[in-house]
Amino acid sequence: MTPTLWSAIRSEWIKFRSVRSTITGILTFIALTIGISAVVCIAVKSHWSDPGSHFDHLVFDPTSTSLTGIFLAQFAVGTIGILAVTSEYSTGSMRTTLSAVPRRARVVLAKMAVLIAAIVILGEIVVFTAFTIGQAIFKGVVPTASLATGDVLRAVMMAGAYLTLITLFAFGIGLIVRTTAASIIVYTAVLLIVPIIVNFLPRVLQHDITRFLPSQLGSAMWSTSQPAQTFSWGLSSGILAAYVVALVGVGTYLLQRRDA
Amino acid sequence: MLKLDHLTKQYKDTLAVDDLDFEVKAGVVTGFLGPNGSGKSTTMRIIMGLDRPTKGRATINGKQYHDLASPLREVGALLDAKSVNPSRSARNHLRALAASNKIPYSRVDEVLDFVGLTSVAGKKVGGFSLGMSQRLGIAGALLGDPGVLLFDEPVNGLDPEGIRWIRDFFRTLANEGRTVFVSSHLMSEMAVSADEIIVIGRGHFITSGTVDQLTATAAGTVLVRAANPDSLASALPADAHYEALNDGALRIAGLSAEDVGNLAFAAGIALHELTPQRASLEEVFMDLTASSLQYGHQTPGVPS
Repeated sequence: MTPTLWSAIRSEWIKFRSVRSTITGILTFIALTIGISAVVCIAVKSHWSDPGSHFDHLVFDPTSTSLTGIFLAQFAVGTIGILAVTSEYSTGSMRTTLSAVPRRARVVLAKMAVLIAAIVILGEIVVFTAFTIGQAIFKGVVPTASLATGDVLRAVMMAGAYLTLITLFAFGIGLIVRTTAASIIVYTAVLLIVPIIVNFLPRVLQHDITRFLPSQLGSAMWSTSQPAQTFSWGLSSGILAAYVVALVGVGTYLLQRRDA
Repeated sequence: MLKLDHLTKQYKDTLAVDDLDFEVKAGVVTGFLGPNGSGKSTTMRIIMGLDRPTKGRATINGKQYHDLASPLREVGALLDAKSVNPSRSARNHLRALAASNKIPYSRVDEVLDFVGLTSVAGKKVGGFSLGMSQRLGIAGALLGDPGVLLFDEPVNGLDPEGIRWIRDFFRTLANEGRTVFVSSHLMSEMAVSADEIIVIGRGHFITSGTVDQLTATAAGTVLVRAANPDSLASALPADAHYEALNDGALRIAGLSAEDVGNLAFAAGIALHELTPQRASLEEVFMDLTASSLQYGHQTPGVPS
């Protein structure tokens, strides 16, 4: 009869699937990942034989090209991660949630469990679909990649893993910041604006800092060969996971300290 | 059973709750009365484990809220009817609550039926009126069939029929042996719905007791009509305060009707009326909290 972590997870799952923002977020995520990726693949294919495209051919990676939609999709999943906590504050339902589950760390774990389950499954399905569609578009004209190659399989799987980790990263920001708008600004700034600012730093610093940025960690994870200014895909996933642990850790500490 | 143990909550420079120390008994409806901003809601949030006290503690059946293994089965609360995600349906909201405390879903339908929301159970809460939201909040409070129930300003936004319903409902809960703790800033509401009343002002305890006890402790006045009011006034002891009313009557404070009658008899003044006047609960409340109003206001002046 005593409620457990599992009871809290079931409760969070009901909450997750019963609001429209989750559903729209997920549909946007699917459409962006598969749609944008396919559009990019078609564009590449139609210009493949253009004169002067030799340089494009040299750096071409059929795997990451077929996953280009991730650049936008990470904002859809990030929003899902952020809303999982900020919508509770904006609607006042956080008080109801914490009355039902007064152990606040348990609330955080339950929300994370639901996000992981949803985005891992959905994310993997979506990236493998985008990959398959991309290779089908390339077929015959552009070189294609096969999942039978170890690095290709790893890159596609890691693309799904990146989306899950970045969702939790956003969730951690939401826990700390608490309002939707501010959380989305912080999240977008970290993914898009910080890399631009780093570009203006002296080259020596650039090299040291860029490798640690979430966007670069992601590129390393879903590329078949290690891109410039990145760590290995394994180390990159580890660093991103460490960011998640740090953000969620700080967020949980604050949740426990603050008045709801 | 609900107990506050020297409960204190200090915000930066305001003392919201100041050393509250009392017990709320089971089997009666206890009113928690105080002007707006007197710390009622803060106290309730601390009881529910949402805010942390600066000092002291609140316990339910001997335990602080965060130590309750299955909180919804021990405490039910309606603190803010709007603390529900508006895009979720009433049923899903209650199911999520039920799941978190291992309460069977069949109970969700029972409480929906009890508060009369069955027909709108699948509708989004955002479209609910305040009255319907209050009912949903009550359904949530009853979900775990708890022995302790807290309601923060429950009659706000209810129509007269709803107010009557909720009074009867509190009565029923108390008769079943539960602890019912209801806050309000309306004395008149508490006078009819509560058995025991705890009065606070600016976060600190002022007084407590039954409605009768509270009105009895307040000093009443005596209304006197005498054949010669002036000589009656001069016959009164120096420490008695009186007020001469327009129609020639005197309102005397600090003396009982008996004292006034005896005085008049001794002075040989004929009395036409001698009426002890008991303070209404509303007056008692105004008296008690006058000095502790957070946001005091002046009586509007009459232009001359």
